Amino acid sequence: MASVEYENVGKSFGAVRVMADISFTISDQKFVVLLGPSGCGKTTLLRMTAGLETIVEGEIRIGGERMNEVHPRNRDIAMVFQNYALYPTLKVYDNIAFSLQVRGHSKDEIKQQVAWAAELLNLTPYLGRYPKELSGGQRQRVAMGRALVRHPQVFLFDEPLSNLDAKLRGQMRYEIRRLHDRLQTTTIYVTHDQIEAMTMADEIVVMRDGNIEQLGTPEEIYDRPANCFVADFIGSPSINFLHGEVQGDGGAPVFRAAGMTLPLPQHSAAAPGQAVICGVRPVDLSVSADGPVKAEVILVESTGAESHLLLSLDGHEIRAVSQGRVKARPGEVCGLSIDPATLHFFDAASERRID
Amino acid sequence: MVLSRTQRLLRAFAAWAVVMLFVFPIYYWVTLSIKLDREIFSIPPKVFSFETSAKSYEEVFGISLGFEEGLAVLPGGGDFYMTPRLWDSIVIAVCSTVLAIVIATLAAYALSRMRFRGQHHFVFWILSTRMMPPVAVAIPMFFIYRDFGLLDTYQGVILIHALMNMPLAVLLLKSFFDDIPKEIDEAALIDGASRFLIFRKLVLPMAVGGIAATAVLCFIFSWTEFLFVLTLTQTGLKTVPVVSSTFVTSTGTAWGNMAALGTAAILPAFVFILLVQKNLVRGLTLGSVKQ
Repeated sequence: MASVEYENVGKSFGAVRVMADISFTISDQKFVVLLGPSGCGKTTLLRMTAGLETIVEGEIRIGGERMNEVHPRNRDIAMVFQNYALYPTLKVYDNIAFSLQVRGHSKDEIKQQVAWAAELLNLTPYLGRYPKELSGGQRQRVAMGRALVRHPQVFLFDEPLSNLDAKLRGQMRYEIRRLHDRLQTTTIYVTHDQIEAMTMADEIVVMRDGNIEQLGTPEEIYDRPANCFVADFIGSPSINFLHGEVQGDGGAPVFRAAGMTLPLPQHSAAAPGQAVICGVRPVDLSVSADGPVKAEVILVESTGAESHLLLSLDGHEIRAVSQGRVKARPGEVCGLSIDPATLHFFDAASERRID
Repeated sequence: MVLSRTQRLLRAFAAWAVVMLFVFPIYYWVTLSIKLDREIFSIPPKVFSFETSAKSYEEVFGISLGFEEGLAVLPGGGDFYMTPRLWDSIVIAVCSTVLAIVIATLAAYALSRMRFRGQHHFVFWILSTRMMPPVAVAIPMFFIYRDFGLLDTYQGVILIHALMNMPLAVLLLKSFFDDIPKEIDEAALIDGASRFLIFRKLVLPMAVGGIAATAVLCFIFSWTEFLFVLTLTQTGLKTVPVVSSTFVTSTGTAWGNMAALGTAAILPAFVFILLVQKNLVRGLTLGSVKQ
């Protein structure tokens, strides 16, 4: 068990700067997800932690020890790769046992450890098989077994579920998290799937273009996104953005856009005349016949449990999610009501959150 | 796709026709080796029915197969006991292939997995060594070999054949190694394995198919190479291609003998290829990573 600290970490590939000045700390036993779109630097950061990429700028410490010059095998970490990277010429048993074998552990100990890991991952019946004889989910579990068996200080996961089908992904998500709760090993998990991040993480690090956009618990990130990018990246369907302006309106300042007027939160830092973006999550829009804001229905999609509506609000397309079935048809006008407490305001120029 | 009976027949016929087209010259060559001299040039050519004789083989290998007594002296005279020449060919082809493959496998793995300054130029340089026509280096090579005492030695010929094969072998094997996901190496590095252990225990078994294919190419090159053997050997050793040219003499060409040696020379190459061809299967990486 160990904490992982990043201090002013930067990285360039040739002339391309992929990461700059990354600093944060992952406390012991935490499950931290690095989240961001492709090319945001999350995998590079993970590979630097593993020692597969050199650390030229800044410092990475595991358990307080500087890792920059330490060989991957001596970092006491284990990594699960996106494509599993199993050893195809070795049977499942030897795949799991490989790290212990090359480190010269005794045969009895190896047997015991492999049996433990196989039991934990329900792989016992498959120990005598080759990787090609396993299904995707089983291969994924073998990759995890290979990581578990050494009892490393830190687990690194590089998009481990992206090659599985949706149902299996949901199940493995739950299994990985349960495993973490049981073993309490510090875990760094890279994904571009915000659902994985929201459901599994103790803390999420949202990254874009090699920078950290926000760091916090899933709830913090969902409830108080630091900027438009984070607000847009988290939540499905995506948040609606309305571009407008703050107006004095005599007393309290209000937000005006798309033909409607919405009150700003009390003590808001937004000044009258400021161009702002208002973010409202689809689930925070309630659709009803008598809602005060009128919008035209463009499309209704039913997922079974809920209905997703695409609406036209004064020419702007917005999405709303309604529990249960909605009877509205395309072309009809429906009413929306918005709870001002659920609104997020961002500065239009900097796209940063205004509190 | 469902084919009608006619289409199926037509396809089978076309396939056989192509096979026949390619096999016929070899068949005809083999028949030459068992024909009597007077039948070799008969017009029209006797393709299927002719009188057979082991005479050519007996002359070429200096052995009696029990069909006829004694040995004939052929036009031009000289040494026609070719068995040692076949042995020379085998030793040189096998040794140069092994040497080229061992070095090329290590080099190709390093080029595939490690990064160093000027790597692209290095790879191009390897390839460029094959761009010069062998004729251009044959004479300088002769002088170099003379000074190093390599003329007319097994080592010398093995070395030059391995050298000639190396660039192609390195590039071919590099592409095979490139096909093996580098995450396997990385996973093993984290697991604690050394580079050499990864190479030997994980990567090499996955590249067997590629190595076998490359070995076949190297072997065939060495087996058929003419120019360097001709210039770099004198009397100590000769390989089959060079020695078969000695059947062309000022007083005539011994077609039957040449065909007999040629036919005999197909066998070792055939056996070698048969031995490695079971490894010529792709898909050994199957199941390792999700494609």
